[in-house]
Amino acid sequence: MIPYSRVTKDIIPTSSVKIIGLGGAGANMLERIALDGMEGAELLALNTDVRTLGSCLAKEKIQLGLNLTKGLGTGGDPDLGRQAVLEAEEQIRAAVKGCRIVFLCAGLGGGTGSGASAIVTRIAREEGAFVVVFATMPFAFEGKRRREQAETALNELAVLSNALVTFDNNRMGELVLAKQGIHEAFVAADHMICESIKAVIRLVIRPGLINVGLDDLMSALRTNRSRCLFGSGIASGKDRASRALRNALSSPLLDQGSLLKEAQTVLVHLCGGEDLTLYEIELLMQRLQKYVPESAHMLFGAAIDPVMGDSLSLTLISALPEDALTSAPRHALSQTSGETPPLEFIQAVTPEPEKVLVVEVPAPQVEEIPPAIIEPEPPAVVEPEPPAVVEPEPLPEPPAVVEVPVPVKESAPSESLISKFRRSLIGSAPVAPTLFDTNRPFAESDPIPSKNTEVIQTPVEPPAAHSQETPAEIEQPPVVNEPPAPEPKPEPSPVVVADFVAVSKEPSEASYIEADPDPKPIENDEDFNIPSLESAGFTPIPRKRPVGVTPWAGTKDGDRSLKLGAEIPAPTPAPPAPEESSTAASAVETESPKLKLGIKTAGPQSELSFDSTPRGRFEGEGPNMIDGEDLDLPPFLRKKK
Amino acid sequence: MARRTKIHVGLEIGTSKTCLVVGEVKADSAVKILGIGETKSAGIRKGEIYDYSQIRACLKDALAKAEDASDVEIGSVFLAVSGAHIQGVNHRGTYRLPDGDPVVSQDHVEEARTIAREVHIPHDHVYLHPIIRNYWLDGLEHSSSPVGLFGKTVEADFHVVHGIGTRIQNSIKLVREMPLEVDDVVFSPIATAQMALDREARENGALVIDIGGGTTDYALYLGGVITASGCIPVGGDHVTNDIHLVTGLPFSKAERLKITEGDASSDPVRSVGVARLTDDRGFAEVEVNRGVLNEVIRQRLEETLRLVLQRLPAKSLEAIGGGVFLTGGTSLMRGFSDLAFEIFGRDIYRPELPEISGVQASFKDPRYATVIGLIRYAQILETEKASPPGVIGRIGRMFWPFGR
Repeated sequence: MIPYSRVTKDIIPTSSVKIIGLGGAGANMLERIALDGMEGAELLALNTDVRTLGSCLAKEKIQLGLNLTKGLGTGGDPDLGRQAVLEAEEQIRAAVKGCRIVFLCAGLGGGTGSGASAIVTRIAREEGAFVVVFATMPFAFEGKRRREQAETALNELAVLSNALVTFDNNRMGELVLAKQGIHEAFVAADHMICESIKAVIRLVIRPGLINVGLDDLMSALRTNRSRCLFGSGIASGKDRASRALRNALSSPLLDQGSLLKEAQTVLVHLCGGEDLTLYEIELLMQRLQKYVPESAHMLFGAAIDPVMGDSLSLTLISALPEDALTSAPRHALSQTSGETPPLEFIQAVTPEPEKVLVVEVPAPQVEEIPPAIIEPEPPAVVEPEPPAVVEPEPLPEPPAVVEVPVPVKESAPSESLISKFRRSLIGSAPVAPTLFDTNRPFAESDPIPSKNTEVIQTPVEPPAAHSQETPAEIEQPPVVNEPPAPEPKPEPSPVVVADFVAVSKEPSEASYIEADPDPKPIENDEDFNIPSLESAGFTPIPRKRPVGVTPWAGTKDGDRSLKLGAEIPAPTPAPPAPEESSTAASAVETESPKLKLGIKTAGPQSELSFDSTPRGRFEGEGPNMIDGEDLDLPPFLRKKK
Repeated sequence: MARRTKIHVGLEIGTSKTCLVVGEVKADSAVKILGIGETKSAGIRKGEIYDYSQIRACLKDALAKAEDASDVEIGSVFLAVSGAHIQGVNHRGTYRLPDGDPVVSQDHVEEARTIAREVHIPHDHVYLHPIIRNYWLDGLEHSSSPVGLFGKTVEADFHVVHGIGTRIQNSIKLVREMPLEVDDVVFSPIATAQMALDREARENGALVIDIGGGTTDYALYLGGVITASGCIPVGGDHVTNDIHLVTGLPFSKAERLKITEGDASSDPVRSVGVARLTDDRGFAEVEVNRGVLNEVIRQRLEETLRLVLQRLPAKSLEAIGGGVFLTGGTSLMRGFSDLAFEIFGRDIYRPELPEISGVQASFKDPRYATVIGLIRYAQILETEKASPPGVIGRIGRMFWPFGR
């Protein structure tokens, strides 16, 4: 094959992207990638076990530990894996030479994966490549030992890699039904990883109209200790924008989008054929707003790829710190599962009977923000967490440089290489700063990026301040105190922050988050940078609420009060304190099904429910029944599509 | 055949408006509209009277206006009726010729027609129109009466429209109290079809949908003959009511919003932004997200059209070659043809009136399709009456004078 690039300036030549599958799990992933067809990247398999290696579909293969293990596996011993990979160091170095990006897929916990991944990463970095590691964490049942091995490896990788995406196998178990075969579970898991690698490659390789590059990617993946939220959807034909979004959100890693609402940075990449319209993008982004918190940093990219034909692909990438996932999302999942899909309807329904219910929403939302903003801070400034992290270099550095996280041991040449590459990718300087804004993980572990954290403050803060000021000052005084805290603190003393965090991250807050899975999406659309788009689907009510409902509704926007009059009192109880709001929210939560029921039942059966629903000018008439539907009720409310 | 000019009056007592049209049928069978009398209806819901005295006042007013406008003293009208209780069914009457009688005679045909008209209808229903669709002779279709042909069995295929007798009687009573005579009672979509469909469209197969204020009437013509007709008690009022229920706006504003801003197409492009109603001074008094507004409208209209589609006989949609003709006030909704196309997948037309002189502009309005259709109906009836009996079948349909 003769690699050549059509547009030399932007497209990264195929030969410079390499996907390395390391160990048994890595080989599986690689296989899946190969089977699914991956253009634009070369595959390289590394393994100690010759049998697995032999059956692997990758074009290049390197056997590790030729003399050490003699073609057998490492038997789960990371040390053995480490030594084995050192034997093949030269080969690996040769293989990754000249690569711009290296994706390393490994299953942590075993011998080869845990032992060798760090070294392979280091070698690749030394060769000047940008390394993105996709690592799977072992199942819980595999035991503590393997978990520890995996975590050690993960910590090393966090230091060494440019970006680290972790998939938890425990989590993967949720991808498939319980009764489905283990084979399918693994296939699903590998498929997931494969999809995300592909998406990343697409994102990095295709120069976009609105470009997002590795930098954005890295800020979306708060590399360390975070779990990747990934969703990808493709749809074509009419209404493809919303269907693509639906597909993307249906990714199990997103929990129907409910996990996204805790995300602080979300990378959204759209790729469509030549007929991609701005309206579609607007529409889609607007819908997405419902799932993403207002304060979230949206990294948006769009690309035109003629190959896409009339289909539209959407990729959502984000990350959540692992601890955030453990408690909340599960609940969120269980609670939302029923509700999220019809979310749009619920919103749509809200105006009439659920007035009170909806009104509550703004309050919790506002409160939620401060924690969201604060949360990123601790990893950045405080150093309580990073356990096994090595810190070769002094911590802070002048913010000016920014652009590249330099490999730990690496020196000028490689940096310049990377940074050049970067720049070519990014195209414009201004993007660069935003890029690192969520790179805390590096900050923890990797000295150089830590300087980035200072830079980060800028991008993160403005949106925060922006989004917050409005709600905060208006909503309620208590909250107002909070924003100042994060704001002045580009580098406050760790202690303070820790306290603060501790307070804000109390269980109450967590439970609160669980409690309102659906109200949140409702109103997210308020503060998004594409200004004029709101309408699209179903946002109207939320749109109004944040503005109108809050106490100042009377003073401002009075004329807007479509139906707000009655609701105004409602919000006041909610705000006071997070604890209260959590109860309030949960109370609301309990109420809501009942209310919704009132409306729903009108449909298929039971005349009893007719009286409960308002029927406008047909009030008091007999039901206008046709095919079991009362035609006098709006189809819009009957949830009939 | 020399014919003299004749004046017919069409009256439609609709949910949103009561409308009288005075038309002059010229000798060359062109129709000239002399005048229109129109009043906003009160006391009608879903095409049926619920407040008798109110609607009587309305009708009086409309009658006065029509007489004023046309300078004609109106003595009798053709009345269009609608309502969910009215429905059309197809029925076929088979008559087997007695042995030793190989040629079909007029009596045999009459016998078949009698059988065909005897549709089993609920006891409180009455026939509105038995309309002959076509004849079959030994399984072979004949569009005109097979009198004089050889055959064994004669079949007559009828489309019978029937509805609840008392309700129709009340409409007639209302008109008689004006006092006016009722020449004939016509099921609305049939009248509309006279106006909306030309002969060619009927031959090719066409569907007329008349979405008015309170009802949606439809009539399907295949192969030149009526195949299905009916009424769904959903109309523009429901759209307004939906907007009212969803957004909480008062009816008047919901109605204005529907008319000025609504869009029924599912085109997301038209659902971006906020729809505003401004008061006299230009201030926005109402703001509704277009996405919601359009979605409410679209879902309602889509459901309605789907109900129509669902009621059409199986596979009839494929047979529609002429297209779908939309009339009625609600068909003026923006994006409605897009929606209709989405559902029916046929050409969508908004009919314009042919061969009508007068105040042309107002007659292009689909809101008048039914009333003007009544005039054409009267004209056709006139023609048929004037023609010798044998030619009745030539047009392919026969109208029974309304007799209760």
